[in-house]
Amino acid sequence: METLITGKALVLAASAIGAGLAMIAGIGPGIGQGFAAGKGAEAVGRQPESQGDIVRTMLLGAAVAETTGIYGLVIALILLFANPLVGML
Amino acid sequence: MNALKQTQKRIMTWLLIVDAIIIGVSFIAIKEPRPFVLGLVFGSAISGLNFMELSNTLSRAVQMQSDKAQSFTVIKYFIRYIVTAVVLYVSIVAPYINVLGTILGLVIIKIIILIGNFLGDKRFFRNILRRKEDESSGQ
Repeated sequence: METLITGKALVLAASAIGAGLAMIAGIGPGIGQGFAAGKGAEAVGRQPESQGDIVRTMLLGAAVAETTGIYGLVIALILLFANPLVGML
Repeated sequence: MNALKQTQKRIMTWLLIVDAIIIGVSFIAIKEPRPFVLGLVFGSAISGLNFMELSNTLSRAVQMQSDKAQSFTVIKYFIRYIVTAVVLYVSIVAPYINVLGTILGLVIIKIIILIGNFLGDKRFFRNILRRKEDESSGQ
């Protein structure tokens, strides 16, 4: 008895793998933000009087970096829950 | 810390202004604007809250030890990431919220920061074009 893989099953499987790969994009900003915060803590330890400037600059950078993770999340969630490729079959 | 509060206030004000402009344009340009507007408001509200939470996280992190600050920030980042995931999931599943509006609302804060702080400053472009060799070596 042979089992056939249908086109829809193949697309869904590939989408699941793609969603998993897209989620890797979410790890980078987390590591980067953590690294920046660690260095920021060191900088504040060295120059406590410029804490406001350090946190302000770090905040702007971190907010921009965080959006990059959201792109990956959007791709992953769309592939999982609103897959446009299945409708093309 | 005053500069930080001012920056927060400025960015949140700009977020409201840009939201209002996009909502106004969507009422003219889109036939059925309600789901898009709901998505935009939903996304930008969560984005603004995430920004405030990021600010609180970093303010607390810089007063910790370096390694503790690192793990604290990463944990907080993933909490915010999960919140964003839930928001996106809800907007995909709910038919009365447009997912494109939510995505735009989530990303809009990046555009505001980029235009207001980096692209609006001429020195940013000058620094890109300036060669390293032209800088004074400090001797």
